[in-house]
Amino acid sequence: MAEAPREKTTAVKATETVKRVPRLIKAMLMEAHEGKAQGKPVVYCFLGNNCDEIVRAMGMAPVWPENWAGFCAAVHLAEGFLKKANAEGFSDKLCTYATCGLGFDIMRQELGEAPPDAPFGGLPKPDAMLGIGLSMCDPRHKWFQAVQRYTDVPLHTMGLLVPPYDIDLKEVEGYYIDYMVEELKGLVEFLERIAGRKMDWDELSHLIDISDETNDIWYEAYQLRKAVPAPMPTQDAMSAFVPGWCLLGTQQALDFCRDLYDEVKYRVENKIGVIPDEKYRLVWGMGIPPWFFLQLFNFFESLGAVFTIEAIYRPFEPVEIPAGVSHPLERLAWRLYKRGTYRHEKARKRTGDADIEYLIELIDEYKIDAVVMHRAFSCRTVHTGQLHQLAVLKKYRNLPSLVLESDMVDVSSFSEEDVKSRIETFIEIVDAHKRGKSTHPSAS
Amino acid sequence: MAKAQVEQRGLSAAEQIYQQRSQRARQLRDEGKKIIGYFCAYPPVEMLTAANLVPYRIMGNPRQAVARADEYLESIVCSFVRSCFDVALLGGYDFLDGFVASHACDNIGKIYTIWRYNFKPQFSYFVNVPNTTSTASLKFFRAELGTFQRHLEKFTGGQITEQRLFEAIKLHNENRALMREIYALRKPDPPLLSAVEMNKILVASQSIPVEESNQLLRDVIQDLKKRHDGPARKPARLMVVGSEIDDSPLFQIIEDSEANVVIDDACIGTRVYWHDVETEGNPLDNLATRYLDRVMCPRTARERTGSREEDLDIRFGHILGLAREFGVNGVILYILRYCDNFGFDVPDLRDYLEKAGLPVLFVEDEYLISSARLKTRIEAFIEMIS
Repeated sequence: MAEAPREKTTAVKATETVKRVPRLIKAMLMEAHEGKAQGKPVVYCFLGNNCDEIVRAMGMAPVWPENWAGFCAAVHLAEGFLKKANAEGFSDKLCTYATCGLGFDIMRQELGEAPPDAPFGGLPKPDAMLGIGLSMCDPRHKWFQAVQRYTDVPLHTMGLLVPPYDIDLKEVEGYYIDYMVEELKGLVEFLERIAGRKMDWDELSHLIDISDETNDIWYEAYQLRKAVPAPMPTQDAMSAFVPGWCLLGTQQALDFCRDLYDEVKYRVENKIGVIPDEKYRLVWGMGIPPWFFLQLFNFFESLGAVFTIEAIYRPFEPVEIPAGVSHPLERLAWRLYKRGTYRHEKARKRTGDADIEYLIELIDEYKIDAVVMHRAFSCRTVHTGQLHQLAVLKKYRNLPSLVLESDMVDVSSFSEEDVKSRIETFIEIVDAHKRGKSTHPSAS
Repeated sequence: MAKAQVEQRGLSAAEQIYQQRSQRARQLRDEGKKIIGYFCAYPPVEMLTAANLVPYRIMGNPRQAVARADEYLESIVCSFVRSCFDVALLGGYDFLDGFVASHACDNIGKIYTIWRYNFKPQFSYFVNVPNTTSTASLKFFRAELGTFQRHLEKFTGGQITEQRLFEAIKLHNENRALMREIYALRKPDPPLLSAVEMNKILVASQSIPVEESNQLLRDVIQDLKKRHDGPARKPARLMVVGSEIDDSPLFQIIEDSEANVVIDDACIGTRVYWHDVETEGNPLDNLATRYLDRVMCPRTARERTGSREEDLDIRFGHILGLAREFGVNGVILYILRYCDNFGFDVPDLRDYLEKAGLPVLFVEDEYLISSARLKTRIEAFIEMIS
């Protein structure tokens, strides 16, 4: 942990609401630390794993090592943790969210407490961990298994799956829903054993109501971002997702999203754009950003380009739960299934890939001029298929595209000079394309 | 091998099939059979056989650098998957009528969509395999195999009856038993066959119909039992543990040194052959149990016991068991770069084996073997343990 923090690590934000996010993160972690001291169980969780409301309803504090690793990267304090994990035998090619978190867990075990310079006092030692076997990310069922080497607390792994794009959903829906309900029941039973108390089902229903309302208003706020000029850029969304994903089911998250909606609406009504002269509207495609260099968004802006919308770290589309479904676990199962299959039918009938369908929607609805992606070398889940997506996309929407390469946490492969040079060239291509002069729109 | 254009029998037949791996499948296709390519150890091949289809294991080419896949797959994708895709782009799988993948890992999960889009197979199916062995996961997987069965029936136009499933299960059980018999011939010191030969037998066997494979393996066993030109005794007896170490020069590199590789825990090896499917009861139930619960791959999280020692035994005990059964005195842990499922296990597995008295060499590398550097490391390891 010898690395000194850099002077400035974050991007300049456009909205006032998102500037509250660092305080929210700090408060969330402090609350977990204090709760832990008072006997409130702490649970290591993964973002978007459908357990948020259940953990909270059980009176436990969820903490998010994945998000914390991103934060370590943003304040340039990840390197020491990464090296620690690598020295233990975890490859530097594994998910760096995981190796950053593992490095911290190793240090905490060695020191008997969190390393003194860990951001926000580090993560509290968990009382339990929730892994998940989801068809999106292998580290979600391997990372916490590895953590047990240093923090041997109970681990429960849920299996939640969504169907592949090419299946007729009517054929499989029944057994996917049944499975998710059973797995969620298993999760509740596990947490009841840890907490020594029974689930309060009314409380769980209430928290699901709050989280649904939070998601829906967050979604509505992002619908407003279709406006010209763009009222809220992607760098703001890279903060705004934290309440929506890490504080789901809390009043804080709901209040935050309501305020965000109000502010974005105000900016749209008053035509307040992110930059004074918006020349190019970009979409941030699938790809986790380099959390250690979010200033890249501002660099695009200095060239007249605004990231109007993004395909990642976003709210889900509001989904309709079938009438008669009222048990909270069934609601959660249907919600996950409906969200996870939202564009499957569309994909099946056209491109074969829901991520591509989403990109096409964003391009059309947000009046996009070009697509930018970032490829993080340590993550297969999000970044495998970017070349495919862009190749197929070109058949439907022939726009310039750029793929930047580095990592979400590990700064070692990142070159600010190279990235800026590539962005400058890319913007020239976007400009030429927009003026109808370019026949070769790919800079990737 | 009655119908095949393979004139030799036994070991030389295995060598010939290995050298021209797709020849028999292409011949069968010309005769009207449908050939289905599949990835990894999870798709239940018995169901393909029962549907009168020929399962054909998809492998890459670890001796050849990727030529065209760079245009389609990112460099961060597992090098095995990239190599397989490259072989396909170069026409190496142009005889396949269909393609089956499973949720074995993120890489294979992702490649399914990309493969379908680019090669447009007549038939494709993604077998969604849960990552846990809970009762609910087993029930789900049973239902998933039911959907797979309906898709196969729709493709072939024929019904897969229980009887046909049981017949296929028996054929594949026999295949597994025969392969285990060959494995057992590696227990003596020196072993009756080298790992290079074993690897060729494994590759050949997963490239031809199961009935033909059974005959091949019976002949191979006969040959091996009467041979006098087997490997020499060497100071080190090694086990290789890893994922898709299929047609790999790795074994040649090791056996060119002072070691015999006598057992593996790998995706085309024991992971495929070590457990049979039950033959009483409902065949789909039995297939679900075998594939979800018995295939010991780190992509599956096992139910926890509450005791870390017991959990480690559940995750790695089979590896230690094989190492002891085959009398090895060292383990090479060969992990493909960018493999999260195997990569996260490395410190735990290394310590588990070393604690049991087995020295471990951990190598993280590409599917395309970079022999010079690897050879040096392996020789040093063998010298250390001999």
